[in-house]
Amino acid sequence: MRMMSKSLIAGACLLTTVALSQTHSRSGPVFTKDGDLVLPTGFREWVFMGGPITPNSLNGGEAPFPEFHDVYIERENLRYYQHQGYFPEGTVLVKELVLTQKGKHPDGSLDSASGRGYFPSELHGMDVMVKDSKRFANTNKWGFFTFGHRAPPYSPSARVMSVAQCASCHIAGVAKTDMVWVQYYPLLHVKLQ
Amino acid sequence: MQKRDYLGAIVAGIALIGTGIALFQGHPAVAQAQESAAVFTSDGKLQIPTGFRKWVFVGAPLTPNGLNNGQANFPEFHDVYIQAKNVDAYMKTGQFPEGTVIVKELTRLLNPTFPDGSRTEPSGRGFFNGAFNGIDLTVKDSKRFAKTNGWGFFTFGHHPLPYEKTAAEAPAAVCANCHMANVAKTDMTWIQFYPLLLNRTTEAGWDTPQSR
Repeated sequence: MRMMSKSLIAGACLLTTVALSQTHSRSGPVFTKDGDLVLPTGFREWVFMGGPITPNSLNGGEAPFPEFHDVYIERENLRYYQHQGYFPEGTVLVKELVLTQKGKHPDGSLDSASGRGYFPSELHGMDVMVKDSKRFANTNKWGFFTFGHRAPPYSPSARVMSVAQCASCHIAGVAKTDMVWVQYYPLLHVKLQ
Repeated sequence: MQKRDYLGAIVAGIALIGTGIALFQGHPAVAQAQESAAVFTSDGKLQIPTGFRKWVFVGAPLTPNGLNNGQANFPEFHDVYIQAKNVDAYMKTGQFPEGTVIVKELTRLLNPTFPDGSRTEPSGRGFFNGAFNGIDLTVKDSKRFAKTNGWGFFTFGHHPLPYEKTAAEAPAAVCANCHMANVAKTDMTWIQFYPLLLNRTTEAGWDTPQSR
């Protein structure tokens, strides 16, 4: 009997290990041994949450985040948020920046067949935030990283940003909504069809 | 008389071969559904695709109402999605495969405060996503849409959720003509607005099927 329960426990452990390794291979942040975040891969197959745009021309020629901010989240973390109203541990949010096509108007907008507006041109950098309540206890459970504001290839790894550069603004603006500007992402607060 | 019998035998033979192929491949309608996200009703209308928010996002042009005399043709963000397998094919060949569906979901702007539709947020002055506002899509089917350069165009409404469940093909004057006039050479798609597709490099962070 004892033998049987031991083997049952061993079996359960094995299953857990398999489940964990499967989960790990597809999702979650990866850190180097000195605590830097490894550049996320595969994010283009995550769910697109929204793409605010702060054109350089409307921000004194140089927006803090130039210019489109395309935000991606893994599907299971999006689902979790839709049910719980907050993100699970290990959630990674990727924000890829994309420049706009240069238009003739003073506000930087372009006349195109579909109308006057802003149109993506070149990939231009990546910022990432990771939820880990132990590692980032000092900044309301989230760590902030940038892999450069420039054309690919992006930096292969990044050190956590200082509080003043990222976290303090999120703490001041969106501490109550799990540090995320959920108001910009209709998928997070709209009842889906 | 003899000739008619001969023809009859040919027709019967073709029917038999056709049935055999259909049986061998399993249910033909199911097989087609696996190949393309485009599902047509018996009267030729297109059903609204499901699950497109799990497809690959390739870009989001923005035409604010405030910059288009109060009413843009496509209000206002145009979020464009393509299935991963069709992105793979495009990255490899520069062409979309038959059956490719490209979904464009519109979202309105979040509470504009400036006349152009922008507002000021902690990240700067700009345009932020508001409510979902409709779906347009294109389907590549060179036989069905031979007259419009191999692509059919559909709209499921420009309004908040819920969208229409089915849509008839839009007349050429409404959609296809503009695509033919401007982007006939790039498979009827505004590739210049989608950096991932324009560059077609792995540097852009697209994993090849082999590396996944």
